[in-house]
Amino acid sequence: MASSVLKIVFSPSHPQGGTGRAGVMTDVHRRFLQLLMTHGVLEEWDVRHLQKHCYRVHDRTATMEALEDFINNINSVLESLYIEIKKGATEDDGRPVYALVNLATTSISKMASDFAENELDLFRKALELIIDSETGFASSTNILNLVDQLKGKKMRKKEAEQVLQKFVQNKWLIEKEGEFTLHSRAILEMEQYIRETYPDAVKICNICHSLLIQGQSCETCGIRMHLPCTAKYFQSSPEPRCPHCNDYWPHEIPEVFDPEKEREAGTSRASKRSLRSRQH
Amino acid sequence: MPRGQKSKLRAREKRRQARGETQALKDAEATAAAAGESPSTACPLSGGRPAAATPSYPQGTSSSTSADAALSCTDDSDEGARSQDEGSPRSSNGAEVSYRDPLNKKVVLLVHFLLQKYQKREPVRKADMLKLVIKKYKYHFNEILKRASEHMELAFGIDLKEVDPIRHCYALVSKLDLTVDGTMHEEENIPKTGILMIVLGVIFMKGNCAPEEQVWEVLNMMGVYADRKHFIYGEPRKVITQDLVQLKYLEYRQVANSDPPRYEFLWGPRAHAETSKMRVLEFLAKVHDTVPSAFPSWYEEALKDEEERARARATARARTAAMASARSRALTSSFSHPK
Repeated sequence: MASSVLKIVFSPSHPQGGTGRAGVMTDVHRRFLQLLMTHGVLEEWDVRHLQKHCYRVHDRTATMEALEDFINNINSVLESLYIEIKKGATEDDGRPVYALVNLATTSISKMASDFAENELDLFRKALELIIDSETGFASSTNILNLVDQLKGKKMRKKEAEQVLQKFVQNKWLIEKEGEFTLHSRAILEMEQYIRETYPDAVKICNICHSLLIQGQSCETCGIRMHLPCTAKYFQSSPEPRCPHCNDYWPHEIPEVFDPEKEREAGTSRASKRSLRSRQH
Repeated sequence: MPRGQKSKLRAREKRRQARGETQALKDAEATAAAAGESPSTACPLSGGRPAAATPSYPQGTSSSTSADAALSCTDDSDEGARSQDEGSPRSSNGAEVSYRDPLNKKVVLLVHFLLQKYQKREPVRKADMLKLVIKKYKYHFNEILKRASEHMELAFGIDLKEVDPIRHCYALVSKLDLTVDGTMHEEENIPKTGILMIVLGVIFMKGNCAPEEQVWEVLNMMGVYADRKHFIYGEPRKVITQDLVQLKYLEYRQVANSDPPRYEFLWGPRAHAETSKMRVLEFLAKVHDTVPSAFPSWYEEALKDEEERARARATARARTAAMASARSRALTSSFSHPK
């Protein structure tokens, strides 16, 4: 009696949540979405594991779809909800990352429910400083100096320091040696908002045409490129030249991100980070 | 080349001015989420910004802008904004869709809202939904909520359940965790599930309403007694008259005009939502080592119930499909994902 009790499937069957287009959603996809949402942003390696896990839990017998098709499938269903799984790359070493983003972002809305008005304004101020900066980094000092201009309840510098740490913990900002830049999650989620809000100050990569916060620039004509984009573009050039003005490219070219090599060598992220060049 | 200070300041001023026009709407959207105020003025996007003003970004940002404009523009002042949107070529596609179905935009925003609540594991109150999302469409609340919950279920496997019908409070629960497959599951759910199926079966077989005595008759036959602690089910009386009632799987009410008071059981709203007469019949059939069709009258009733559910699901899917294809038609030409 007890054993037959355990076999009851309680949830009503909703076989497919498909829309007019290709997308066919099963519980495998739904679980994947739920878990991806909880993480905020995930690196590709973790995403693959997540996909495997979801198959194991819900449909052991099925052949696992290729990750790209799996994600495209999900995105075609989510399209009508103005949501998608977006793929990007970390700006310093080109690691592929994924996040579930709202496409109808008219503001920093995903943060809005987690932070108070003055905290959101602090983020906006930090964001402006980051975008205006040459290096893509804003110093803690400069951000904290703006604490008096914040909307909402008055915030002291000590508090502001903690709020900045909260942003780091929630993967909106990255801190390096007392300076702050945008986490890849913020770039994925807010690219649209940033391009619309700061159309004059925003920097764009000459290669991939996406938002650029950190990167290298040509000293002659000023075009900019992401570090992983320069890595790929100049991969087999003995003499790197600016794609726009043909002048010599004066910076050290980083290596292309190779997930296989990374896992074998067990390279620590810290040592990879030092390859990042902040020259402009 | 790095920009001089003056050029930066000039750009910043220009930015501030431009932002001032759009800030009202954007701030409203952000602070509405945070503090619950509703924007009162006409949409600044269509009023303040001329159609050609937005610089064209490479690779599809302009299309996202139009989708964005469509979503944000027809907020609380559809009348004025509508004609302007139709005139502007840049945003005409997106505006067209929302013009035809203004509720759709609220459905999408509500889905975004519910997803955030789900991630924070917070209950959802109707009052909050009305104040922060639905706003002037409050008379369409039920329709908007229904469509949003369908999306939550179909796309994310998340159920929106009304846990407090008096205070209109809802909970968001992952449907996927309720599947009893033995691999991921809280221990207390399993025994309750077993006894629940039995009680649901009795209720079904007694014409969808079963006197308490008859429920205990059946349970006693299985060695489950009201006053005896059971090694799987714990305290059976508490489980079926309190726990499962609180979870909305069962309804336990006094028989009208009964003196001394007698009680009866009915299916609770959650049982109706999460299982079906056919499933319960299948369970009972298994218990009796037979097939569902061995109980002809109940089998017929269960079949009818299945048909109704299938029809309801098909309508929901058709509507989702219609919305999605309308959306994809509107966005296909200009919507491309920057890689």
